[in-house]
Amino acid sequence: MKKLFFLVLLSITAQFLFAQEIKIDAYVDKSKIGIQDYLKLTIEISGENANDVKTPALPEIKNFKNLGSSSSSSSSYSIINGKMTSEVTKSYTYTLQPQKTGNFIIPPISITYKKQVITTDPIHLKVIAGSTEPAPPTSRKLGSNKTQNSSDLSENLFVITKVDKKNVFKEEPVTVNYILYTRYEVVNLSFGSEPNFKGFWKEDVFIPENINFSTEKYNGMIYNVMLMRTITLFPTTSGKLSIPPLELQVDIRTQSRSFFDFGSSKRYPIKSKPVTINVKEIPEENKPMNFSGAVGKFKISSSINKTELKVGDSFTYTLKISGSGNLKQFDIPTLPDIKHLRFLDPEISTKINKNKISGTKSIKYLVIAQEKGAFSIPSIDFTYFDTSEKRYVTKSSRSYELDIQEGDGIYIPSSTAQSTVTMEGSDIGFIIKKTDLKNNLIFLNSFVYWFIWFIIFLLIPISLVYSNEQRKLAGNIDYLRQKKANKILKKYLKQASQNVDESNLEFYTAAQIGLGSFLADKLKIARGSSTEQLFSEIEKRNFPDSIVQNIKELFEKCNQARFMPGGFSKENIINDHKLLRNIVTDILKLKI
Amino acid sequence: MKNIILILICSMITSGIFANTQIDDVFEDAVISFEEKDYSKSLDRFKSIENEGIISADLFYNIGNCYFRLNEVGRSILYFKKALKVRSNHEAARRNLKYALTFTKDKQETGSEDVIKSFWEKAFETLSINLLALISIILFSMIILLIVLMIIRYHNREKTVPAFITVVLTVFLLLFLILCFLKWKEYHNEDEAVLLSASAIGFSGPSEDFTRVFTIHEGMIFHIEREESGWCLIKLSNGLGGWIETDTFERIKL
Repeated sequence: MKKLFFLVLLSITAQFLFAQEIKIDAYVDKSKIGIQDYLKLTIEISGENANDVKTPALPEIKNFKNLGSSSSSSSSYSIINGKMTSEVTKSYTYTLQPQKTGNFIIPPISITYKKQVITTDPIHLKVIAGSTEPAPPTSRKLGSNKTQNSSDLSENLFVITKVDKKNVFKEEPVTVNYILYTRYEVVNLSFGSEPNFKGFWKEDVFIPENINFSTEKYNGMIYNVMLMRTITLFPTTSGKLSIPPLELQVDIRTQSRSFFDFGSSKRYPIKSKPVTINVKEIPEENKPMNFSGAVGKFKISSSINKTELKVGDSFTYTLKISGSGNLKQFDIPTLPDIKHLRFLDPEISTKINKNKISGTKSIKYLVIAQEKGAFSIPSIDFTYFDTSEKRYVTKSSRSYELDIQEGDGIYIPSSTAQSTVTMEGSDIGFIIKKTDLKNNLIFLNSFVYWFIWFIIFLLIPISLVYSNEQRKLAGNIDYLRQKKANKILKKYLKQASQNVDESNLEFYTAAQIGLGSFLADKLKIARGSSTEQLFSEIEKRNFPDSIVQNIKELFEKCNQARFMPGGFSKENIINDHKLLRNIVTDILKLKI
Repeated sequence: MKNIILILICSMITSGIFANTQIDDVFEDAVISFEEKDYSKSLDRFKSIENEGIISADLFYNIGNCYFRLNEVGRSILYFKKALKVRSNHEAARRNLKYALTFTKDKQETGSEDVIKSFWEKAFETLSINLLALISIILFSMIILLIVLMIIRYHNREKTVPAFITVVLTVFLLLFLILCFLKWKEYHNEDEAVLLSASAIGFSGPSEDFTRVFTIHEGMIFHIEREESGWCLIKLSNGLGGWIETDTFERIKL
């Protein structure tokens, strides 16, 4: 009977297992939480094929902030009646932070598996103020006085915003200290999101680099105190301005439960309370014209590195404004126009102390003495708004007397060095009384000038054409011979004339050869041809009779002179020379 | 061909000459007024000639003298500079300019210390633009003549000597042409100006809101680099640059 019952039970469970392949479950670690606490929401998916299920999508949960998730899976095997079944459990854990107090519902979470939608039940939650967590143990070192000890977290861990003054003027610096008070053992500290200092110009003064607590009594209790941050704020607008809270994340060691448990840490986010300060406008009444915009308390001093100078020398003039206030923001005092001294653009350096409020602004001018004489640098006024006395204050620097001596003055011009007295006796030149009042012609601008250039240039192509023609003619042999004929004739005629002067009979030889060659070249027949050949050629050309007669006569005389020397007087020679000349001129006149 | 050239040259020379007796009379009048020390009247006469469009170094020189006598150093410097622009070798104008410059509040460099530079400047001043143009054309015709000779007479002979001379002459021609061009550019350059108002402040930008860079006084000669809505970027001879208002100075132009 018992056996039967067992079997039935087994089959039922097996059936149940096979029917419900996938199971989903959602639960939270507690249903009543404090707003300072975190809520853990776990979604568990179990079943043989749980690995196949996709990660469930977390629906948007109103009034809760999802801080992150983690997942884990486990599997178990069981053998029943020789049959092995396995079960896989996957769990997803979400950390949620409540945003508001009240009653809330975590909506159902659904997954889809094999076209089957499986949902969880909604979860009801209650969020209350404060914390439901048991506070971690306070640090033993602080000595736990049970009566004074509070278990409330907010009393044992908080940040205070300390402001040095709450009523300020615009641009007046405000120092803000954020101080952490704790009675817990702090393992780690980190800053949350950077606060937004709207309406302020912010200067960081102090940011801690490591955890460093000191003890301090506050409200009758001893706390571990740490300065978290110091900033200096310069309000840029007026009105009620709130200094934003500092967000911190504090990891606190929890109590160890056993000897082997070293304890773990738990993270608590904390925030300081916002502080409002009242910013007033700087009063408009009695506002001096030369107000620099400086707010605070300042001093002005001036210094000069030398007072005895030469023209062209340079010196430095330094204005120093020191004090506390908005050193970085105000305008530097303007220098009055000082004649004969050249002030170059100043070199401005601002040295600010660690507290970001006090410091020194130095304005260094390089000044060049331009003139000889005694000059003074007047005192410089600097007007600021004194926040403690609540009125405008003007302070002045001391003035300086300068004695500038005559110098080499090469670098910087000095007009007194050019005094007219030294120029005594000299004057400008007198006017020009007579002049040609015509407009000077600039050749370069006239067309004619460039036209001449062009014409001169044209000579090149002209000469090129000309020389080309010449070369063509030179290529012609007959033309060459004609030209040569003249040369030969000249040569022999010269020889002949010489012979005439010496009344030498050589004249005839020269005359015969010369005339013969000349004629041969002219008539284009071979040189050294006989006299007969010459004449027959002459006849062909229809030379005028007189010329032919003359030539014949001369040749005859030449022959006579050659064969019968002695029959020729000087007169004969002169006559024949004349004859020769006539022939040559006649032939040259002819066009052959 | 030769006749045409001759005619052209002749016409070129004669075109510049036109006698205007009326203007000559006014000039004489002005000279007499000057001698009688009636400088403003003399200035009026001279200026009326200038307004006729006459560009003459001597005329500008005389106007500069009138202004100097009337204690207008800035304008006298402007006119001496104008005279030198027309004729850079106008010795009297150069001397007077140098003298007038000693009356300005700001010291100005008149000559350069560098020997080579001053020699170059001297040469540049002495040679007038027309002389340079003439030298250039003569050198050019010599070169062309040599080339023509080489083409016609020396076509089958050794050409080393004439070729060498041609090259030398060409180098000279280029030098003179460059000089000529520089001179021509200087002549037409209108970027130089003289400050006429008593003083002007140079700012680092074209508005009075900018930083003061320098103060210059009447008679300062400077270069204009840029012009922008009533303001000019100028550069002083010592290298300082700044913006001054345009109505404080006048450009040296013809």
